Order: sequence, then structure tokens, then C-alpha cells
Amino acid sequence: MAERSLRISQVGLRGVVGQGLTASHVLDFAAAFGTLIGPGSAVVIGRDPRSSGFMIRQGVIASLIACGHRVIDLGLVSTPVIQHEIRRLGAQGGISIGASHNAAEWNALKFFGPNGTYLSTAEASELLDIYHLKKFSFVPHTGLGSLCEDNGALDAYLDQLAAAYDFEALRQFRVVVDCTNGTSSLILRRMNQRFGFSFILINERIEGDRFAHEPITNQRTVGLQLAPLITPLNADAGFLFDVDSDRLALATERGEAVSEEMILPLLADHLLPQGPGKLVITNLSTTALLEEVASWHGGTVVRVPVGRAAAIDALATYRPDEIAVAGEGTGAAMMPRFRFIYDGIASMLAILTMMRERGRKISEILAGYPVYEMRKGQVPLESPRVPDLLMALENEYSDGKINTTDGLRVDWADRWFHVRVSQTEPVVRVICEQRGRVPKTLFGALMDRVRRMD
Amino acid sequence: MREHRLRIGVSGIRGVVGDFLTPSLAANFAQAFGTYVGGGRVVVGRDTRASGPMIQHAVCCGLLASGCEVVDVGILPTPTIQVYVDEIGARGGIAVTASHNPPEYNALKLFNRDGLFFNHYERSELIDLYHQSDFRHARNNEIRPMEREYELPVVEHFKRVLRHIDVDAIRRRRFRVALDGVNGAGSLVSVRFLQDVLGCELHAISVDPSKPFPREAEPRPEVLTEIAALVRDRHCDIGFAQDPDGDRLAIVDNKGRVIDNDDVLALAVDAILARLPGDVVVNLTTSAVIDDLAAIHHRRVYRTPVGEANVVQRMRMVGAVIGGEGSNGGIIFPAVHYCRDSYTGMAFLLDRLLATSKTTAELAGALPQYSRRMGKVAFEHGRLGQVMQSLERTLSAPSIDRSDGLKLLWPDKWVHVRASNTEPLVRIAVEAREDTTADQLYQQVRELL
Repeated sequence: MAERSLRISQVGLRGVVGQGLTASHVLDFAAAFGTLIGPGSAVVIGRDPRSSGFMIRQGVIASLIACGHRVIDLGLVSTPVIQHEIRRLGAQGGISIGASHNAAEWNALKFFGPNGTYLSTAEASELLDIYHLKKFSFVPHTGLGSLCEDNGALDAYLDQLAAAYDFEALRQFRVVVDCTNGTSSLILRRMNQRFGFSFILINERIEGDRFAHEPITNQRTVGLQLAPLITPLNADAGFLFDVDSDRLALATERGEAVSEEMILPLLADHLLPQGPGKLVITNLSTTALLEEVASWHGGTVVRVPVGRAAAIDALATYRPDEIAVAGEGTGAAMMPRFRFIYDGIASMLAILTMMRERGRKISEILAGYPVYEMRKGQVPLESPRVPDLLMALENEYSDGKINTTDGLRVDWADRWFHVRVSQTEPVVRVICEQRGRVPKTLFGALMDRVRRMD
Repeated sequence: MREHRLRIGVSGIRGVVGDFLTPSLAANFAQAFGTYVGGGRVVVGRDTRASGPMIQHAVCCGLLASGCEVVDVGILPTPTIQVYVDEIGARGGIAVTASHNPPEYNALKLFNRDGLFFNHYERSELIDLYHQSDFRHARNNEIRPMEREYELPVVEHFKRVLRHIDVDAIRRRRFRVALDGVNGAGSLVSVRFLQDVLGCELHAISVDPSKPFPREAEPRPEVLTEIAALVRDRHCDIGFAQDPDGDRLAIVDNKGRVIDNDDVLALAVDAILARLPGDVVVNLTTSAVIDDLAAIHHRRVYRTPVGEANVVQRMRMVGAVIGGEGSNGGIIFPAVHYCRDSYTGMAFLLDRLLATSKTTAELAGALPQYSRRMGKVAFEHGRLGQVMQSLERTLSAPSIDRSDGLKLLWPDKWVHVRASNTEPLVRIAVEAREDTTADQLYQQVRELL
């Protein structure tokens, strides 16, 4: 697997360092980005704590300077901080060095345009074309760019958050946070120090190689260390962030690890009534609880293919005031206030705000939602016959509502399934969900079909 | 003639920054280097040219990717970097510098674990490794943060040089010294060395490392008019001019005349031989004045093909006390380090002025006088052998050396003809006791070529 770990796609560049992702890829990709954004730009960069970030940072700086850009290095920061800083400084773009929820040996480059937004599909395609052609706009020695450091980004980011959320009220909460040895610890420590929050941090030591656990935001990782601490510490809630703190997961005050699928319904329930946005944008694999929650507040769920690129393109087609929230079932969400920025910290603050406004415990809020049971499975992709299989399934389940924009999704009144080929790994993913009970039979039948490929 | 905007070869990688020398090429080359030295600490520094930071970032990227621990020493003279590699027992070093080449160029100078230039064997192994792209790729857990050490290399280099001269006496003498740092890597280090350490009354120009080179980077006599005038105006005892990476040294005497490079080496050789036992190694193109001085001190002179690595290799083999290459202003004093070092040169010249109580002009004037001619001609591909043979037949010299091109020697004159390692050119060097003999021989050779 690691031998073929390199992924070059619309989202950027990702791979296991030294075994798929090499210095050459980094230099060429950064040079392609330097060429894409046009001459003499300001570019904000930052990295997560992975050790390979030291190497990648050098390569990114070299290529951007070679293209004549002014590089503003934020050092060790979360991806949302980079995005906010691009906006604040009026820079033309940014690069985030970090592999987010992947294991320590991975790394990646994420690219941002002006205003800190992700590249559109069209821009990303152009970036890929430049990368493949390797025709970079290197400037002569008299026009080379420069490097400067910027240590003010974190506080500027917190100023933004302080303007959007009632820090005074929120700091009353007793919150335990599992930082997964990543950048959230820098942000939360600063919030404790500067605004008098009392976040209790675990796995707060910045680590370059050994994360305390897999940096995935899900029910299982929350259950490892965070959830068992909640009741002994008498906390109101527990949150877990991935390494670059754009995703989060949750534990209740009763020490229950909550499914990562619940983040988006919580935010939708909180934000839809606040208006004016009535749209929830998510992908085809996210829980159907969203539709139910949206219907309470007169909202609509817009479902797009899985993957960040489709979400970004969808977002771009609506006015900011039309959207209530956008996100994925992975715990990554963005709110209209900070458009196009997936931000775990902001999501946490929104959930705390919801708890305060409703005067209810997080477990009580969650108990108010109907139960949806989800099953997820994957099968190695070893056959070219997936399209045939999907067509066969489409015929077979024709009594449901068919959606073929990304693999096959079939919906009935109380259940749905989604079968698709992953963009990031050579696997077929199967997701099944039912209201009120586990969709055991349907899931078993589908997994069986996918395994047999007939 | 083809313009050599990029060259990747046994002398490393060099080219015009922009479309030719790209970050990717520099990083790949550094990764090949890191693979070759097998990980461990590697010292990286640079001169002051504008592309230095860009190339250095690329080099650090390549080194880190190969699993090396990078010690960033910032802007430093090449000899200072070499000394530091040796001092900390690093696996190797890289100086980002195109030395005396114009500002649009940059290049990598590569050093082995002793802080010496890669020899021919090491260089060809490295270039094979580069071409095969057979690099070591470090995993996440093998990549270390970079170290930064800007001060210790300078301290250590000074310490090694000052050990050999009477610092207190030089300080008391308070020499009036002019300096042209070409805004290069030596700018700050040289001011500190001459003014703070050696107590000179310093008149310095072009010592701002943030500015571009104010003159041609190579300290040839024709481009040193400003410092020559400064020496005259301020009545200095001596003037020193460096190249951008501080390995070469040119000297202006107290009358404002630029001393010939061969004579600069001769003055250094004379100073050392007067004090220490041991033989001398110089390249084939270096003046016979070295032989005359060695004879006075009853020492031997060994001659090697052109190139610092060749001179250093022979010096180590014969345990020479001093060596160098006259034609390019390089003084190599192994007691400091086996590298061309302008600081050793400056220190010894001041020490010599003090010891002899003579002026710089008097010292230079006392050297055996020779007349020298140098030039280059383009040659047709494949004709080099024929040309050399006809030269040998026509001139019929009593003594012939074929170890690097062709050197023909007579009792009162010699000519050295060799193909350049870096350009498609034949280099000609002629030396004779008399001006007219030199002119005659030079003209004759040019016509034959």
C-alpha cells in the first residue's frame, strides 16, 4: 500500500513521505502553484507537526521564491489559521503542509486561493496541467521572491473567533480536549491564556512522529482516552481534533463517545433557525438525519458527490446568505460566517454556543434526535466490473429513489444505501443507514454483492 | 559558441538561476549528495548572491529528504564552511556559491567529511548516483529539524588561523588596511577579522552582504581600481580584495598596484617557508617564482594538474607545508585546513610585513621577476590532439610535462596549454624572464592554435 501511496488529484498532493511522496513531487507541485497564481504574489504557508514537514517546508519555500513570490511563513499552525491569515493579509494564495487525519508517515499539500478558499475544480485542473507539463514560471535572479515569518496569525485568528462567538459566556464550560498531538493544542492553550477558558488538554504535546492514537475524528478514537475522562473530570463535553484541527469529534458529559456523523446535524439544528441560510450542503454518504433536522426548520439538504472538490464547487454556486452549514460526515464542517474554511475549533464553539443558548446538556440535545443506525464497509477494488455491478443494483432496487451522481445511492422513506469507488484508496465503499434500527439485512446483502462483483 | 547556462558534471552543478538552475535540480543534486554521504550531519552555507536563499532552501529540502541532519550556517565564506565541517565531524558540507562567476549564476560546492572538495573519484560516483536517481528517501521518523549555527564556524576558523601568527604584535602595529569585500560572504567576517581581531585601521568598501556585487566577481587586477585608489588615498599598508565566497584573495600594495596572483601566492609561500619546514605543491600553471623561492629555502616543489582537489590530494600525499594555485589567487595552508583561504593569506601577509619591516611593494619587488601571458582560444571539436602534437613538434622543448594538457619547459620560459574543464576552450599560460620572450612565445602558440 505504502509503495503506491502517492495521490495527485484535484485536492492536491498526498502520500507516504519517502515511499511515494518525495522532495521532487513537493518542489514541482509548489512550483506549479507558484506558476498558477501569477507573478509577484504573497503566499501564506504553514505546517502541521509531522517531522517530514521540515523537509517539505524547505521545498515549498524554494519553489515559491524561485517563482518570485513573497512567502509568509506562519510556522506550526492549523489549516484554518492559514486560511484566515490569507484573507487578513490580502495574500494571493496559501499552502498548508499537513496530512490532517492521515497517519504520521503521511504528508500532503493543500492549496488555497485568494480569500483563503480552496481551489475550484477548474483551478485545480489547471494546477495539475501545469504540474504535468512542468513548464514553471521561474524568474531570473533579480526578481526572486523572499521569505518572512509571521507570528501574529494565531491571535488574529482568535480575534475573528472572539468576534463571532461569545467567549465570555462560553468559557464557563468545562471542556476536555484530545489534541491528538496536533495544532489544536497551540490554539486552545492560547485561548486559556488570553481569554480565560479552562480547556483541559490531553495529548497536547506537539509530536512529529508518534501521535497518541490514529489522528482520525470518529467514535472509536473518542472512546480511547477522551470519553473515559469526562465524568471523572466532571466536564460538560469532550472534543477531539485531528492533527491540523479542521475536523472534530465529540463525547457527552456522560462520557459517551458520539458518532462523528452527529457533528453536522448538531450544527444544522443550531444554525438553521438563526437564518437566513436555509441550505445544508453535504455529500451523498452523510446521515439522513440531516434531512429530518432540516425539515424542522424549513431547511433543505443539498447532496453532492463525496470529496472536497465537489463540496467547494457546490458552495460556490450559492450566495453566502443562502447557506446554513456545509460539511461531511467525517466531522469537518464550515459555517457561512467563515466561508470555505473547515474549522474544528469554530465548530466546537458553535456546539458550545448551542448548549448555552438551549440551557441543555449535550447528551440531552442529542437525545432529542431520532436514532439513525449506520453501517460502513469497504471491499478492495480488484475488478473493473464496478459499473456493471452498479447497474445491476440499480435495476434490483428500482423501487427506491435512484441517484447516480457519485456511484449509486438509493433512498427509501426510512433507509438508504450508497455504493461508490473511493477517490483516495483502491476500495469500494458501502454505506447503509436506517431510521430506528440497524440495516443488517440490506447491508449484508450489499456487501455480499460487492465482494462477489456480480 | 554555445552558451553554458547550465552544467551538471563532475565539477557539480552550476548554472544561471531561473530557467536553467531550478530549485528542483538543486534539491535533486543535494539529495544525491545526502545519499552519497549516507545521512548524518551536513553543513550548509552560502554566499551573498540573490539566488542564495532559494537554492539553499532547495538544498536543505534535498538533504532532509535523504535523511541528513542539516546544520545551517547562513552566509559564510567557503573556507569557513569547510573548516566547520571538519571541526564538528560532519559527514559533508555544501556551499551554495558560484564563487567568482557572475551574479546570475549559482552553483554547489561539495565537501567530504574532512571538509575537502570532492576528489575526482567522489565526484564521478556522485554524478552517477544523481543520474540514476537512486536516492535515499527518508521516512517521517528519520527527518530531523534543522540546526542553526551562525557564530561558532567563524570563531573556529579565526582560532585556527590566529594560532600561526603573532596577533598581539599585529594589533600593536595597527596596520592601515583597505578591504574590498565585493559585498560577498566575507563582508562581515572580514571586517571583524581585520578590524576587531587584528586591530587594523580598516578602510572597507563593498562590505554590505545585502547589496549586489559592485564589480566583476573575480578579483582580477582590471576590476580592482576602486580599492587601488582607496589604498593610495588613505595611505594604506596593504589592500585586500576577495571574491564572493572568500576563498580567493587579491592584494594591492601600498602604492596602489594590484599584485599579480602568482606573486600573492609567492609572498605567502615565502612567509611560510621562512618559518616552517616542509615542501610546496602548486599546479602546472603556477609561476616558476615558486621554484626559485623553494630553492632558496632548500625545499621541493611538486606540480599537479589544475584544480584545487588535485593540489590538495598531492599536498596530503607529500605532507606539504603550503600549496596553492597561483593563477586563481588560492592559498592553501594545511595547518588551518586543506582549502583555499583568503583569511590565512591576509593573516600571513600582515605577519610578514611586521616580521620584515618592509612595505608590501618592497616585498613584492624583492620576488624574482617574471613576465606572464594568459589567454584562451576556442578549439574545434576533435582537433585538440592534433593541435597539441603539432605544438610539441614545432616548439621542441627540452622538457615536457603531459600530466595536464601539455607543458613545455625551457630554462628561461615555459608554456602550458590545456583544455578547460568548464568551457570548450584551450587555456594558454606563458611565463618568461623577459617581456619580449613571453610575448614572442605567446604569439607563437596562439598562431599555432
